[in-house]
Amino acid sequence: MNAREQIFSGIRNALAPLPERAPRPEVPHGVADAQWLADEADNVALFVKRATAVGTKCFSSVSDCLSWLFEQQTRKIFIPDSSGEFAAKFVGFLEVVRNYSRDQVDEIDASLTPAAGAIAESGTIILTDESTPDRLAALAPWTHIAVVRKDEIHRSMADALAAMPDDPNIIWVTGPSKTADVEGILIQGVHGPGVQGCLLV
Amino acid sequence: MRCTTVMAKQLIDTYAAELPSTVQQAVHQSTATTTAKRYQLLGDDYADADSLRKLAGAIRQHALEHLDTYLEQAEESLAARGAEVHYAVTPEEACRTVTGILQSAGITKVVKSKSMVTEEIHLNDYLAKHGIESVESDLGEYIVQIDGDHPSHIVRPIIHKTRGDIARSFEREGLGDYNDDPETITRRARKFMRAKYLEAGAGITGANFVTADTGRLVLVTNEGNSRFCLAPSKIHIAIVGIEKVVPSDADLAVLLNLLGRSATGQQLTVYTEFINGPRRKDRPSGPEQMHVVFVDNRRTQVLASDCKEILRCIRCGACLNVCPVYRQASGHAYRSVYPGPVGAVLSPLLAGDKFKELADLPKASSLCGACNEVCPVDIPIPDLLLRLRHRAHEEHVPSPGTPPMEGFALLGTHPLIWRAAMTFGAAKDYLPLDRLPVPYLGSWLKKRTLPKWRGGKFRTWMKSRNGKNGNTEVNGAASN
Repeated sequence: MNAREQIFSGIRNALAPLPERAPRPEVPHGVADAQWLADEADNVALFVKRATAVGTKCFSSVSDCLSWLFEQQTRKIFIPDSSGEFAAKFVGFLEVVRNYSRDQVDEIDASLTPAAGAIAESGTIILTDESTPDRLAALAPWTHIAVVRKDEIHRSMADALAAMPDDPNIIWVTGPSKTADVEGILIQGVHGPGVQGCLLV
Repeated sequence: MRCTTVMAKQLIDTYAAELPSTVQQAVHQSTATTTAKRYQLLGDDYADADSLRKLAGAIRQHALEHLDTYLEQAEESLAARGAEVHYAVTPEEACRTVTGILQSAGITKVVKSKSMVTEEIHLNDYLAKHGIESVESDLGEYIVQIDGDHPSHIVRPIIHKTRGDIARSFEREGLGDYNDDPETITRRARKFMRAKYLEAGAGITGANFVTADTGRLVLVTNEGNSRFCLAPSKIHIAIVGIEKVVPSDADLAVLLNLLGRSATGQQLTVYTEFINGPRRKDRPSGPEQMHVVFVDNRRTQVLASDCKEILRCIRCGACLNVCPVYRQASGHAYRSVYPGPVGAVLSPLLAGDKFKELADLPKASSLCGACNEVCPVDIPIPDLLLRLRHRAHEEHVPSPGTPPMEGFALLGTHPLIWRAAMTFGAAKDYLPLDRLPVPYLGSWLKKRTLPKWRGGKFRTWMKSRNGKNGNTEVNGAASN
């Protein structure tokens, strides 16, 4: 018997003596939504509120975003072609890199990549391999800005889970990279971005 | 009172007694804070968090009792998306499978994201023996690794270390001069780990959940290390306990909402990643190969036991944080991969024929029930502890710390001796009990006075309360 057969026969033997097996519970859509979700009328406003609470900086204009990048002394930003018309608005203000390569991991301070959506309930940005052409580019720079379309903001986590795109890698980003491993003290920017931004369009 | 021999301490008491007070304070403070945050957040966000826990428990129990179906379905879903699925019965087999994948790709360096099952199978040691460098990328796990230590908490592996300890370890490893500023420590780790990610041929992860219908592996981290393990590497190997499977994405709405809140008092962990296959032509960013190794390591035996509910566990650590014993003793006292109440159940079960060596753990509990109350999947941990105590008794495992009860057993099973003892028990009132050679009794009695002996009067009292109709006065009154 190979390992697979051994494990499956182990499982079947373990379950065989049960007089009946636990039925599948009904999981009503939205059963785990936060109770205050019903009081929030505006998805965009809620997203901004929740994202801000977890440390994501939200912008509604490119100029606000740019001045924030200047404040952080950003010099080199990666903006892929998939970001469309946005790249042009940054050229002239910052050094804009259009192709991301591993050799530049330490040189590129920031990246701006399109998100695949967002979740208002938790202030989460959704990235996929389809929306982010290079995983490393959205992860390695100190600053990452996701471009979120207001009409792609899901209301709840349950809604987002019900509409999962066909993508080998979907990642929900809820704030900047964090740790509290050292004496429970919160430090941002462990492996991923120390600063997480979101440009709403 | 019948205890006449010196009470041996339980092993866990010895650990607790030897724990430096600074560590004990750190553990207590951290666990108490997280517990408070958990209560606050669940209370703020849910009118009835308790029924949500019960629903999550029902989802997990259903998944376990249909594991044959769901595991097979998860395998099909993953394979259909280009992932290669492997199975391993033993830790050795799991390690061999991983090593085989790495060797056939000529990989000598890997990065790892935190995973409890890889602790179970001692993967890092195995890889090192086979000439493969494996670096833990979670900050806490990395520190555990360079110190040759073991995690003492499921979620917070270095809860037992101070910033000074860490600064000394970093200095020793050549990561810079002594500096115990947590931010500096984190930045140094960031820089060091970056080089490791980029040179690694493969990224090894666990999985928090696997959904059967879509084959998604769910990985949650706050640091972003699992994503980094999967960004530049050519190969992704996920090592997953067979019990992690849940039916569908919709179930994750319940489980993810409870996991973050229970583990760290967060609504949602920073990075929640869903992976169900290697790169594709139209999604060319990720690893070229994805391997999933489903590990049994006695989980099928646990499933067959009367403690199968423990397999619902989603490794949030809430039961550790709330446990008065864990707070006193910290994680190493449990002498196994899983500490705390969940460990007291799971570790002896996973120990197989070494059950006896860990059979004391289920006794390290006052059965206060707090672990069950906080459990996001409503595992009846106190019941399971009792079942394991029973098993230890059946298997005649010696039980240090339990007062000898043979004398009482003799009394309780022989009515004549019992009645005699009840009659002569009154002598107790005239004996200098505090001078009896019974440990603890003397000091206990110095501050307390025992009530006067009333033993043996119950039957007389009961008879006197029986009225002529055979009814007690109370019952008679109640029926009027």
